[in-house]
Amino acid sequence: ENADPQKTAFLLRKAWTLYSVTPLYRFRRGRLRDYARLLSAFIAAEKQKGLAVEVGVELDIKVALSSLADLRGSERDQAALLVQLSSRSRAPSRNSEDKLLWSGWFCSVYGDDLSKDVPEDFTCLPLFLTHGPESYTSIVGSWFQKSFDCCFRRLAISPLNLSWMVAMWAGCKLDRATSAVELVFSVPRLSQPLDISYAIHPEDAKALWDTVQKTPGEITQEEVDVFMDCLYAHFHRHFKIHLSAAKLVKVSTAVASAHCDGIVKILHSQYLSGVLRLLTELAISQIQ
Amino acid sequence: MDETVAEYIRRTVLKMPRDEIKTMLQTWGFLSEAQLQTLNFHQIKDNISQEVVQLCEENSADIKQAAVLDIIYNHIYQNKRMWSVYQMKKSGEELDCFDITDFKKRFKGRLRSALKNVTITFKEYEDNAIWIRVAWGTPYKKPNQYKPSYVVYHSQTPYVFISASVLKSNLPLLCQALIVASNYHDIREMELRSHSLNSLKDIVFKRYSQNFQTYSPKPLQGQNVEPESADIRIVQENRSEKERIHRLNWELFGGGPQPKLEFAQYKLETMFKSDPKMDVLDKKEPFRCLVKFSSPHLLESLKSLAPAGMADAPLSPLLTCIPHKARNYFKIREKKGLFPESFVSP
Repeated sequence: ENADPQKTAFLLRKAWTLYSVTPLYRFRRGRLRDYARLLSAFIAAEKQKGLAVEVGVELDIKVALSSLADLRGSERDQAALLVQLSSRSRAPSRNSEDKLLWSGWFCSVYGDDLSKDVPEDFTCLPLFLTHGPESYTSIVGSWFQKSFDCCFRRLAISPLNLSWMVAMWAGCKLDRATSAVELVFSVPRLSQPLDISYAIHPEDAKALWDTVQKTPGEITQEEVDVFMDCLYAHFHRHFKIHLSAAKLVKVSTAVASAHCDGIVKILHSQYLSGVLRLLTELAISQIQ
Repeated sequence: MDETVAEYIRRTVLKMPRDEIKTMLQTWGFLSEAQLQTLNFHQIKDNISQEVVQLCEENSADIKQAAVLDIIYNHIYQNKRMWSVYQMKKSGEELDCFDITDFKKRFKGRLRSALKNVTITFKEYEDNAIWIRVAWGTPYKKPNQYKPSYVVYHSQTPYVFISASVLKSNLPLLCQALIVASNYHDIREMELRSHSLNSLKDIVFKRYSQNFQTYSPKPLQGQNVEPESADIRIVQENRSEKERIHRLNWELFGGGPQPKLEFAQYKLETMFKSDPKMDVLDKKEPFRCLVKFSSPHLLESLKSLAPAGMADAPLSPLLTCIPHKARNYFKIREKKGLFPESFVSP
């Protein structure tokens, strides 16, 4: 893991909303300060137009853009780009710390599939993660779209990808696995909607995965299918319900959790790179 | 009138929907009809509650009366609270004649001997239900009126429904007082919880339509089977399968409405079994899982799983046993012996 745990601490235990982003045209790393100023002016202008986030609240918004050199997969990846919106403290007192209102970051972890085909003037950072009010996401997104001719799209996560995630993450070796491996299913089209939470003791889930995975370091679709089929069969044996016919909407493990609406929480720095790599892949397939 | 009582009454009135305030105050009966006439119910609730407090001031309301108003609100909005069910046990076969005055005296006596700072209020309702409200304090602090426990006791039954306050430490004392007051010798918590108090009563008092052991081979005449659709794709096989599922559902769940539960939880400590050909996990220890089903109306949604093709019919007894076993929390272990496929739930 090359990422400095201190620098990446801000990523952990926060719910990030995912987007795919097409390559940025003529984005210059050296101009981050300029971009911050421009984005700040843009936000102020949007507020004037009445598109302010909080009506009646006079918020002075400070914009900071920074590069996170460690947050990437290989040297071929672009360094991650972090955007932070804080409210400038009004009080001149000693406790005048700016309050972080919203953060978003662009990254690429082993995003070669995309960057190899892209002309030089483009910067590939296909994954965009946000945390904070939707209205700020919208404003920041608009500015990037205008400035770099890129396109943002919400990244939904299919049940297929969710099952990949749960299989992968259940198999991760952790010093202390404290949380269960949980799968949440939804059965909407009944007379009364039904949600089913299926949580497995992390040791038992890992034991199952270890017997399924044939080659360490490699995961195949077949192995994920076997793992899921085992879980479905165990459930069916007890309840006679076909879980495979229900919609998998959320998976949760000690490593990370993911929701089909494209919301992810990374809980353990140890597997940060692996999680981001998977998400980068999803973002790229949505773009292509 | 005590400041704290005034504030408590004000906040209780604020909780009520505006068009129900008048009825609740009338049920309360503490303010006269003439006083109620002076209230303007067409203003914002803040003002209405202030006016109510004013009137209560005129009548010198104390915490006892305020507590009754709180019971009235919670009786109507009982489904906002989570209720647990407790069952009491008698030691002998004594046929006690239930005396409400004795009950109240013994209950209050038992609680007060252990805890001086406690507010105890009773209200009886038509369906033989005795509602008890207890606000808890400590030896040094007055009772916290905002976190009371509610108990509903049907005197003709051994069942008590409790919506405890956050302070779980008072529960043993509350249980003690109940058995002392009602002349039972033991009380145990059942694994049955829900927001719908009436549904809990339906389940323990067996007031819902149950499955019958002996059944008529055909559904009753006039049963509301799904209307014959003109869809020619539904062939005889599908139709008879549909009818079979429908009949099984009727056998298992009965024809009437199901009690309303919101969840069921199963702690599974059974073995993981798989096809040996699959070459997967073969441990001698249990595959530990926790399964939770949630729905606005759980039993109805379970009932609709087989017809929707999501489950086999008949549905698993682990699910269909919920009402007649009167529980929605289960621990399932493997049954040892001849029939490894069956489960035991202690």
